[in-house]
Amino acid sequence: MKQGMGGARRAVFTPVDNRARVEAVVRRLGDAIELGLLADGEQLPGESELAGQLGVSTVTLREALMALRQQGLVITRRGRGGGSFVSLPELPGTERLQARLAGWSTEELRDLGDHWAAVSGAAARLAAQRTEPEDLLQLRRTLDELAHADDAAARSRMYGRFHVELAAAAQSARLTREQVGLQTEIGALLCLVLAQDAYREEVAERHRSVISAVQDGASDSARELAERCVQESTARLIALRLALPGTASGPRPLEGTHEEQLRPRRHGDSRRDP
Amino acid sequence: MRSSSGPVGTATLDATPETGVAAGVRCVLEAVFDAVAQTRADATALLSRVTAGGRRPVSADLAALRPGLHLRLARCPLVSGAGFVARPGLLDDVPAWLEWWQSDSAGEVQPLLLDLDPQRSAYSDYTHWEWFALPRDTGERTVAGPYVDYLCSDEYSLTLSAPVTVAGRFAGVAAADVYLRHFEAAVLPLLQRLPGPAYLVNARGRVTASTDPGHLAGSLAKEPRPAASLARRRPVSEAGRRLVPCDGLPLVLVVAEP
Repeated sequence: MKQGMGGARRAVFTPVDNRARVEAVVRRLGDAIELGLLADGEQLPGESELAGQLGVSTVTLREALMALRQQGLVITRRGRGGGSFVSLPELPGTERLQARLAGWSTEELRDLGDHWAAVSGAAARLAAQRTEPEDLLQLRRTLDELAHADDAAARSRMYGRFHVELAAAAQSARLTREQVGLQTEIGALLCLVLAQDAYREEVAERHRSVISAVQDGASDSARELAERCVQESTARLIALRLALPGTASGPRPLEGTHEEQLRPRRHGDSRRDP
Repeated sequence: MRSSSGPVGTATLDATPETGVAAGVRCVLEAVFDAVAQTRADATALLSRVTAGGRRPVSADLAALRPGLHLRLARCPLVSGAGFVARPGLLDDVPAWLEWWQSDSAGEVQPLLLDLDPQRSAYSDYTHWEWFALPRDTGERTVAGPYVDYLCSDEYSLTLSAPVTVAGRFAGVAAADVYLRHFEAAVLPLLQRLPGPAYLVNARGRVTASTDPGHLAGSLAKEPRPAASLARRRPVSEAGRRLVPCDGLPLVLVVAEP
């Protein structure tokens, strides 16, 4: 939940723009649900309590809950035992992710990408100076899993894990924490671009070249390659964002997003004995 | 790994300042290994008892380890996390499990609750981490790190671990986390006794603690390689440096050749 704080605080200090506050609340609660911080079926606190905790008016909160209901992330039951409940749809719909993407302005996405490039670039440079074969084993294993992951969500998890492991290979707890935080913001969105097999392969290729540069101790080129990798992904997200309805460029058909594999047994598989 | 005596060991215990410091470092970490050994004994006894009762252990059985874990977290100031990590498939009710407890910044003991569902978490498989894989593969106790522990604490850490076996079969590891800043606080006074800059490296050359501004903790000392000194378990000279192993631990003290 910590990650949403920036957006919420920004919203609190822009009192004329109620829209921004609603979007900040939608994004924060949406992220928390997407990440499993709020569990499927969990009851949210009452409206006035939740509004108080988030530092927004009940009117703003109601608008946000309405938007979350439209995204299918919250259901509201009336009467005794009623209230708002987290509802994680079985299918991680592309539309739901697009609605999340629409909650970001292109400027915010650009800034998120700048932050991400700064963290990953610095991590790659330091990792090249401080690496040993053991660090590369984990990065290679993640690269391999990315290359074989079928659905967009698994690809996104491996993409994120690569950059977290890169920061850990830099021997920096601060950069690692920063990268983990960045991934909680961008991880779900990356599903939208990683659904395309061609782009998954491109990312895998870029990660491979980062590993090679780190292995060679080529710190400047490791930094540049890592920066370019995340800048390219951010650029794709911004292009998708611009293609969404309600923006100056108007609605355009999205490429590739229909390929996203749906995961019908999302909750069922995990308790199998390995 | 525990052979501190024997012909080689005693021969090297001539009282140079470096061997004294290496022994001091060893003493610091042996206190943590004592805590690991207690967890290991508790886990072994518990799992053997359950198995002897004719059933497979379940995650709830491991709650019996908690009083001991909490005691060790309270008593051993270097230990910030402690627990038993089950081999996947050991427990009947869950695919994988960490019975893991940590001291938070306020000194409160908290359980670590990880999402081990591979459908949701990228970090559900912990079996490749050195603190798990090395004791499993070697049967020996291990010092893993320093490394950024993004699984449990988000801290730059050392993890000391030992294998737990039940009826001859690997069941998991008993382990304890030492944050590197705490380790540094414990060993820096020892290193500062030496007349010149000195640093400790792990078996792969990663600097673990240092009074040498040119070799800070976390950096990689490409030369000299610590392997020869660790294998021979006695001081060696290489590349103008003297390497003194901390007997019984995969750590080597490096000082400039006098």
